[in-house]
Amino acid sequence: MRVRSLKPAAFGSAAFRFALMLAVVVALGAGALLFTVEQQVGYYAREASDGMLRAESSVLAAEYAELGLSGLTDAIARHRGSDADPPYRYLLIDRTGHRLSGDLPLQAARIGQGSVAVPEDLDGSRHVERLATQVTQLPGGLLLVVATDSFDVQQLRYRLGRFTIWSGIAIAAFALIGGYLVGRVFLRRLATVNRSIDRIIDGDGAERLPMIGFGPEFDDLTRNLNRMLERKDAAMEALRQVSTDIAHDLRTPLTRLHQRLERLQVAGAGDPDSIDAAVEQTNGLLATFEALLRIGSIEGGVGRRRFGPVDLSELLDRIHAAYVPVVEDCGQTFIANHSGGVTVIGDPDLLAQLFTNLIENAIVHTPSGTRIVSRLRTIGTEAVAEICDNGPGIPSDEREKVFRRFYRRDASRSTEGAGLGLALVSAIAGLHQAKCTIPDGTEGLCVRIGLRLSSANDQVTDSPKHHGLP
Amino acid sequence: MKLLLLEDDSGTREDLERVLSSAGHVVDACTTGQDAIFLASSSEYAVLILDRMVPGIAGLPALKAIRAAGIRTPALFLTAMNGVEDRVEGLEAGADDYLAKPFAAIELLARINALARRPPISDVAATIAVGDLVLDRIRRHVTRAGQRVDLQAQELKLLEYLMLHAGEVVTRTMLLENVWSFHFDPKTNIIESHMSRLRAKIDRGFGRELIHTVRGAGYRIDAG
Repeated sequence: MRVRSLKPAAFGSAAFRFALMLAVVVALGAGALLFTVEQQVGYYAREASDGMLRAESSVLAAEYAELGLSGLTDAIARHRGSDADPPYRYLLIDRTGHRLSGDLPLQAARIGQGSVAVPEDLDGSRHVERLATQVTQLPGGLLLVVATDSFDVQQLRYRLGRFTIWSGIAIAAFALIGGYLVGRVFLRRLATVNRSIDRIIDGDGAERLPMIGFGPEFDDLTRNLNRMLERKDAAMEALRQVSTDIAHDLRTPLTRLHQRLERLQVAGAGDPDSIDAAVEQTNGLLATFEALLRIGSIEGGVGRRRFGPVDLSELLDRIHAAYVPVVEDCGQTFIANHSGGVTVIGDPDLLAQLFTNLIENAIVHTPSGTRIVSRLRTIGTEAVAEICDNGPGIPSDEREKVFRRFYRRDASRSTEGAGLGLALVSAIAGLHQAKCTIPDGTEGLCVRIGLRLSSANDQVTDSPKHHGLP
Repeated sequence: MKLLLLEDDSGTREDLERVLSSAGHVVDACTTGQDAIFLASSSEYAVLILDRMVPGIAGLPALKAIRAAGIRTPALFLTAMNGVEDRVEGLEAGADDYLAKPFAAIELLARINALARRPPISDVAATIAVGDLVLDRIRRHVTRAGQRVDLQAQELKLLEYLMLHAGEVVTRTMLLENVWSFHFDPKTNIIESHMSRLRAKIDRGFGRELIHTVRGAGYRIDAG
């Protein structure tokens, strides 16, 4: 399964989730910090106003002790002044609760510290102001209430609160954007790593993972993964070397055997029919061996380095023209229905082998009178080629198995071949990252190959030469 | 013809030497790439026959060195290596042909003949004639005994290749490679099917047959 590519605008992306988490954490942190600061400032402001009230109360109490009631009322009147918004406001009541001086409401006279709501006309609009109060009991049953404007403290707290909220939002938004951008950079690097992994899965043995960056731990991870790949590669290479050596060692004596038989053939010695049969058998043996090695090397990813644009329409036309007489000689018919100008990226020789194998498979496994059709069309970004016949077909439970090496259906035991044709088809399709399927609902057998179309922005590393012999 | 053979396996080398000598060739055999480079640059050969997997300098770098020295002698790679890319690599290194083991002796001989006489004069000729069969390569039409013969495109290409190698054995593989660009061995008889149609058109009813089947090898066209 291919890893989804990173879409920049995707809100479901890991970058966005990462940013969201970061923003939430930052917002919570900022909120907690500002809440503490706000509490501290509020506490300090309250302390300050309370201290001021205590000081004012004790000054007035001293006046009373020295100059008696008249001295106190004078002092209150003096302190109160004529200011519209005086710093302190007062209330002096006697034992019976009668107001002797001051303009605060009577309910303010509760012993200790408290607050009182005072309706006020400010800038033409009525509003209720809360004043902090300090109530002092004076000798002779008098109660002195001194109140001060807590407005400044409230204003400070209100502003601080607003600042807290806006700062929180701004910091969270900043964290969100910043986190998203950083996350995207990180995910981009991860995407390059994933692309490398895709290439490795597709058989590019030389590919190594790029460094992720962002920290030594990530780079250690990459290095370790690359070391693991090195080891696996070395093991694979050793295996491949052994196969090649076996090929060399086994084929040399087989070649000699073949040559000897040929010399007998040419010399006309012995029984010519037996020698012909022996030559045929060595050929069959070598062909099987050849096909196996070829499948092995294709599955190893060899051949992709030479990929270039291939005109699939021309290739299929050429194969069709080559096979029409063969199919006719077998009493079947061969029809081509190819869209023109369909170009894919691949190896022309291997693709030719893929389609000839499918056609030969159809020729060999269907009776005379069968119609074989070669189709090519484009669907979206895919070139879809099909080789279909209206022969007996294969049951759906065997459709996967036919692409395995040496798999032969019981019905085809009597026909020639080692059961490698479709395995080679599957290996070549795999090398081209092509989909190789047997669709349902068709009469007979239909093998569908879905190849990615070549487009102008496809990078071709090697020159797309077609290496035909002169 | 004087041929250079690079092959490290003594059994195969002796067999090849015998096959090539009995076909009238003179063979200088060596077992390492170094020797091949030395021999190729110090003596004139008609064709170089090189095995790819040999000790020391392998066949491929040896040929590269020979080509780098400016020696254009036609070269043919022989190899047991089964590689998808081997053929292309060989051609890119400067080889002119490529033959995978195992091969029939006659296949090798046919290819050596084709390489040694390259480029044939008829490659550039506008018309080629074999007996009373004439192929006009520009107008793409064929006459036999003055009578126009209608051929399909691939039949024409097949006939053209045969006529360019008139008098020589042309193998099935050579035809597959050069007429159809198939660099693998199909299981069905493509060549036979096309050849029988070609013969029906150019040989049937004209008395003497021009296309001859060479048993165990391929075909040859000649006026006999």
